[in-house]
Amino acid sequence: MSKRYAIDLDVSKCVSCGACAVACMDQNDLNVKQTRPFRNVFDMERQEGEGTTYSHLSLACMHCVDAPCIVGCPSACIQKDPETNLTVFDTTNCIGCHSCAMACPYGVPGFGPDGKMVKCDGCYVRVHHGLKPACVKACPTGALRLIDLDGPEEIAPENSLRHRSMEMLSKQV
Amino acid sequence: MRYGIVGFGTAGYHAAQAIREQDKAGEVHVYGDTGLAPYNPMLTTYYIFGKLPRSGLFPFGPLEEVADRLGLTLHHERVQKVRAQDLAVETERGVQRYDKILIATGATAFAPPVKGLSPQDAHLMRTVDDAQRLKDRLDRGDVRSAVVVGASMAGIKVVEVLEKYGVRVCLADLAPHIFPLAAYPEVSAAIEKRVAKRGIDLRFGATIDHMELWNGQKTAVMTDGSVVPADLVSLCIGTRAATQVVQGEVDIDRGILVNERMETSAPGVYAAGDCAQGVNLESGEKQIIGLWANANRQGAAAGANMAGGEARFEGNILHNITHFMDMDFIGFGDNRIQGELLEQGALDGDGLYVRAVISGGRVAGANILDSYRISGILKNYMLRLFAGEGGSLPDYQRAMLLQAGLRAEFIDRMEVMTRG
Repeated sequence: MSKRYAIDLDVSKCVSCGACAVACMDQNDLNVKQTRPFRNVFDMERQEGEGTTYSHLSLACMHCVDAPCIVGCPSACIQKDPETNLTVFDTTNCIGCHSCAMACPYGVPGFGPDGKMVKCDGCYVRVHHGLKPACVKACPTGALRLIDLDGPEEIAPENSLRHRSMEMLSKQV
Repeated sequence: MRYGIVGFGTAGYHAAQAIREQDKAGEVHVYGDTGLAPYNPMLTTYYIFGKLPRSGLFPFGPLEEVADRLGLTLHHERVQKVRAQDLAVETERGVQRYDKILIATGATAFAPPVKGLSPQDAHLMRTVDDAQRLKDRLDRGDVRSAVVVGASMAGIKVVEVLEKYGVRVCLADLAPHIFPLAAYPEVSAAIEKRVAKRGIDLRFGATIDHMELWNGQKTAVMTDGSVVPADLVSLCIGTRAATQVVQGEVDIDRGILVNERMETSAPGVYAAGDCAQGVNLESGEKQIIGLWANANRQGAAAGANMAGGEARFEGNILHNITHFMDMDFIGFGDNRIQGELLEQGALDGDGLYVRAVISGGRVAGANILDSYRISGILKNYMLRLFAGEGGSLPDYQRAMLLQAGLRAEFIDRMEVMTRG
């Protein structure tokens, strides 16, 4: 039975500890000297007017339902996994044109030393086997979640990175 | 329902896919005269270069597989006319009537004739046949010099191919700079410097006037009187929307005029892809924006609406990313609009360079060199401003831009200047 999953972040729970990024590097055997990590962790402080805002964020591929990178890839290397609806890729025919990067409003796609696109694939093989993605499993606060898009809301919309970015995403072509 | 799709590039493919999502039983008839699966014209130079096998030109697989997967009836015939009023498609074999028709005939490369240029030495770069022809010619190993006319994204990719084959190349354009429709003159100049450093002979404000034979060497005589050896000539001057089959049947400007539902002026007739003229979100005017993603979105919207759905594709802005000769050039928006300048990085330095022009509280245009990482977020910001949203970046976009090397001062200034 196929599902529609995405990985979401509860921004109220993230503490920018970086456990997710380390788990991701380990799971994907990433050599970060050659390829930037798939997951980006931020602890950002910003002066705004009289006040200061703090952002704790962990950002990787959002596995958009209508993913602009899929539409933008000239070689159709990026697809939806039929079982999980996660955004996966086969870069056999990737020409390294960077069109996916220009399509992604989150700035996610990276490129490996061979010039081909790399990004988070949602650990879809783990998910096929009933396991959580490595980042979700490692998150000590439960901020990162594998969410079922057709199930009940697991993260309050105001804290969900996915919900917070929907309006922004709807403008991307 | 019976659907007719005339032309089967990516717009036609996405329309067929969208029709099938809503209508499993309807008949979908596809007309194409190439006998090939949908292919991407942008990939042609990658095939010649050797980055892709020939099968890689066809992102959705071989034609028969596509037809099986989507339940299509293929008509390998040239369409002579689409009669809008009776929703009929005319070919040599007869007339077929449909409930809905999509025109997805794409665009064709055009080139004015060059006096003295023999047809076997004249090359275009648009179709699979164009690519195969140039590849076969280069593989023969007898091309030592070439002139590429058109300093466009297609032109520079052809130059890159010729350079790989060890051909002495001259790139010429009547325009004063490389990428004249996308790059600011200062950025063009920096790119030209890098290209020239690789030994490419660049000539601007000039094009081929005619060909002559000089001491047995095929030679291009340029409009400025200079001469260039040219065993072959690649003409990358531009494309034109293929609208002939609906001439006089629907409203046509430079392309077939469509609304947000991809409907033409004739009920039941839709258009999508490089033959269609939709909305430029920046100018608000109708303009052909010949991009892969645009064709995909237009095709999907057309197909959904043909099958009774409610899909809209509001439009797009001019944008492109060209990765060539170990550099990235990214151009957004209208490079003719003047305004306040925001700039980061040095044009003669390494690493990220970005130049944005702010006008009327919007980012009217931007050029980026060597940083694909900021491109998607910057494009999104421009699109949101054109949609009337206020000028501020959410924290996750800001964080990613900072990580990619864009300075906080640049972002802050851009936000202030676009806050309205």
